[in-house]
Order: sequence, then C-alpha cells, then structure tokens
Amino acid sequence: MRMHGFLGRLADVLARQLLSWLHRRVEPGSREWLDALTAESECADDGWQRLRWALGGVPLVWTINGRRQMNEPSRGTMRALMVRGVANIAAIAGGFAVILPATYLATDFFRCHLVFGSQPGGCQDHPFVFASITIGGGVLGMIIALALRARFAAYWWAVCSVFNTVGSVWYLRSGIVDLPRYGATQSAMLMAATFGVVLAAIMRDTPWTETDHGPLHHVGDSAGAPASFLSRHRITAHLIAGTISFAMADFLVRMRDRHLVGDNVNHYAVLGSAMFAAILAGLIGRRGSRLSAQGTIARL
Amino acid sequence: MPRLPNTSPQTLSVLELLLESPRSWHYGYALSQLTGLKSGTLYPILLRLADQGWLETRWAEPEQPGRPPRHTYRLTGEGAKAARTKLAEAAPSRMTRRLAFVPGSR
Repeated sequence: MRMHGFLGRLADVLARQLLSWLHRRVEPGSREWLDALTAESECADDGWQRLRWALGGVPLVWTINGRRQMNEPSRGTMRALMVRGVANIAAIAGGFAVILPATYLATDFFRCHLVFGSQPGGCQDHPFVFASITIGGGVLGMIIALALRARFAAYWWAVCSVFNTVGSVWYLRSGIVDLPRYGATQSAMLMAATFGVVLAAIMRDTPWTETDHGPLHHVGDSAGAPASFLSRHRITAHLIAGTISFAMADFLVRMRDRHLVGDNVNHYAVLGSAMFAAILAGLIGRRGSRLSAQGTIARL
Repeated sequence: MPRLPNTSPQTLSVLELLLESPRSWHYGYALSQLTGLKSGTLYPILLRLADQGWLETRWAEPEQPGRPPRHTYRLTGEGAKAARTKLAEAAPSRMTRRLAFVPGSR
C-alpha cells in the first residue's frame, strides 16, 4: 500500500516535470493550448492519471510547433532551411573528404587491403593508424560542423567518433581473438551511440525559457533565468541519457535475436558507447547553445 | 485518397458531444472522459477546430482557489452548422462501423 502511494507520488512528480519540460519546448506566444492541457491535468484523480494526461502534451507540442513553422514566412524559412542543409551536407562531406583519401593513402603506404577481419594483410594489421584516421576524421568533422554552425552534422560525427573510438579501444585490447564478437557488437554499439546522441540532444536547453520580468533568455545565460533540473545537473542529465540509451540498445539486441546474438555482444562496449555518446552530444549541445546565444549557430 | 478535413471518427465524436449542448462551455478533461479520447488526441483536434473558426475558446475562472484558470470550449454558429452537416454526411458510415462491433452482426 505504501509502495503504491510512493509510485503514485512519483508519477505525479514525473507528470509535472514532463509538463514543465514541454512548456519550455514551445514559444511563449504559442502556449495557450499547452497551458489549457496543463490546467486540466489538475482534474486528474491520482498521479498515474495525471501522467497519462501529461503524456498527451507530447503530440500537442508537436502539433503546435509544426503549425508555427508552417505559419512562418515561407521565404525566410526556406532560405534558412537551405542554408542549414548546405552547411550540414558540407560538414559531413568535409569529414569524409579527409577520412577516405587518408584511408586509401594508408592502405597504399602500408600495402594492405581495406578488409577488416582475420585474414592476414587486412587493415587490422595496423590498428593504430586506421583507428587514428577514423577517430581523427570524426573529430575533424565535428570541428568543421561546429565552425559551420551545423549541429546535425556535429551529432553525426559524434556518433561516428564514439563508434570508432570504442570499437578501436576494444580491438586494441582484445585483438584478433575476439573478432567474431566484434561483428555482433558493432550494430549494438552503433545503436547505443545513436540513442545516446539523440537523447542528449533532446535534453539540451531550448531558447524558449523566459524570466518572470524580462525578455527571453537561454537557460544558463542569465543568473535570473529559471533552469530545469536537467540543465542544472548536466552530468546527471548525460548519465541518464547514456543509461537509457544503453538499456534501449541492450533490450533491442536481446529482443531481436534472443540469446543467439545477445550473448555474443560485448555489453561493456555497448555501455561505453552509450555513455560516451551522451556526454559528447551534451558537450556539443552546450557549445551549440553558447554559439546560439551569440546568434551564430542555426538551431536544428 | 486523403481524408476530408474534420471527418475522422475522433473529430466527429468531439463534434457530436459539443453539439449536444452547443451554447454551453465545455472543459477539456470532461470532453476527454466523455469521448474516451486521450489528451494527446483531443487537444490537437480542438486546436484545429479553433483555428478553423468552428470553436470558440475562453479562459474560465477556477472553481477552487489556488487552481489555474481553465480553458473552455463551445461551437461557434458556423461551427455548429458545419458540424451538423459533417455528422449527417458521416451518419451512414458511422452506423456501419458501429454495427460491425455488435456481436453476431457479421
């Protein structure tokens, strides 16, 4: 009974946190309908009912923001979209423009073939070189993306860098003996890295937070701006994102092939990918918010 | 073929309920309870109906102190007229759909 009461209170807190988080996702001028939904949540009899009601705010915010974007002057929006798209494509292409030629040059220089496996003469014979190229290329891609104010591309390269870093560390530690497990782990690592980046990106601050008596502020820009729990405890936020990502990737791997593949996956590598990705994406979000506050980065 | 606007079963159930007492103001929570629609379905429908001028909205003072003001809704004259038309048009298909759920009707 006591447990039931505790869970009910927890659901109530979650509902209120969710509504407050959604509130910050909507431009102040468009909050009428979300305020309406929030006010009605007070009619719920218990915490679980309130949480179910609050979850309805997610599609509502989606609708509100979609309509706002549609109603914006199309010329400006189209132009902004095009600029943003070109910047992102350029940043992604820029990273590959470094990685691909460097990889081919290295294979030529070391006289090895591009196959990564247990066959002799493959690029696994020079792990440091190829790991440096892929990781360095990813980091360079991130730098280019941030310089071009292309946040999507920065997250893209974050996923690639995490995947390659964790994969390389694992390979350098285990060597060729554990290579069959590497194949099974790869997809799980990539999944965990993607989830980590996406979750951390979602948790990042939005510009729609205002003070009680002043214009809009970015969270953290001003001492007077109200900050959410996640923005006040960034490391905790990243750890939560990483843990959820790991759990999701792990669950999907186990669900897909039962124990056949699940047992063959190195879960430490998956956990490492999820955590690293969340932290990296959090740092990108923070840097992006700073640039955005200065008016120099396009919000995706 | 894309569906015509405001002809989804969910929208029609909201319109039907609002038409039962077109001059009274309705609360979102009560609408959700009576139609069985979840808040995530109901509110986008209300938002769309209001945008189209079918729905009038108003902030009402809370019944209990300390509670936030509540948003209330009722059909506009144009909305009531259009809702009646939509419901009449959809009546045959809605009846068929309802019969399909009656045991032994198949």
